[in-house]
Amino acid sequence: VTTLNNNNNKPADITLKIPAEAEHISQLSVALHSLCFYATGKEDFAIQFQQALVEALNNVVEHAYNNQAGHEISVCYYQEHNQIRIEIIDSGESMTTLPEPVLPDFDAESGRGWWIIHCSVDNYHYQVIEQVQHSNTNILTLIKHF
Amino acid sequence: MEINEQKHEDIDVVILGGRFVMACAQETRERLKVLISQGQGKLIIDMENVSFIDSSACAVLVSAFKDIQLKSGRLVLVTSPVVQSLIELTRLHTIFEILPSKAVALDAFKAAQ
Repeated sequence: VTTLNNNNNKPADITLKIPAEAEHISQLSVALHSLCFYATGKEDFAIQFQQALVEALNNVVEHAYNNQAGHEISVCYYQEHNQIRIEIIDSGESMTTLPEPVLPDFDAESGRGWWIIHCSVDNYHYQVIEQVQHSNTNILTLIKHF
Repeated sequence: MEINEQKHEDIDVVILGGRFVMACAQETRERLKVLISQGQGKLIIDMENVSFIDSSACAVLVSAFKDIQLKSGRLVLVTSPVVQSLIELTRLHTIFEILPSKAVALDAFKAAQ
């Protein structure tokens, strides 16, 4: 945990970081599941948010960083009124557009991740911050109301 | 993730537990491929104790389904509520045979003999 900001009973905003490797995704997603459950008291909410988060993290590891070790992913958690907002931040290869959230043919062995994200949160958007001397910063924001 | 294999006469049973996600997808895919290639085309994948599943795991299940189809075999899944929920979200319940427990799945295979 790198950031805690808890005053006047305002819920804490929290940032977690992991190496961009598949074996670290569960630790982070279980932690975020717990935060979502703590905030809402709703197991369904927490599992759905975890579902979207895991797919988003899988995409960063597989596609943004092309399964290459030595990179990092940051996840920022914000509790705001009646919603949870999570930002997933990486500096890997940027997407030019978000993939269409459609299911592939039943026998396809990939392509279900964005569908799961689309169905599991209320809103999501993607931002690329271009930097001249460093890698771009990519931010995928997931929002779910409770 | 835990992976245990059992043999009930000519029926292979793979019992999975814990988190079935990308980190263990490749190993699980390979173990299922070996089991299917060496087996009699009768496979139960018991995920009653799987606490979480992602799209990578769904891909492993689809791969096993296709492999067993090539042998004209039969694959039966046993799901936990979390697994069932994702399988329904991705509409894979329309192709998979899903039964409520390992015992029911074993009975279904024996009844078909």
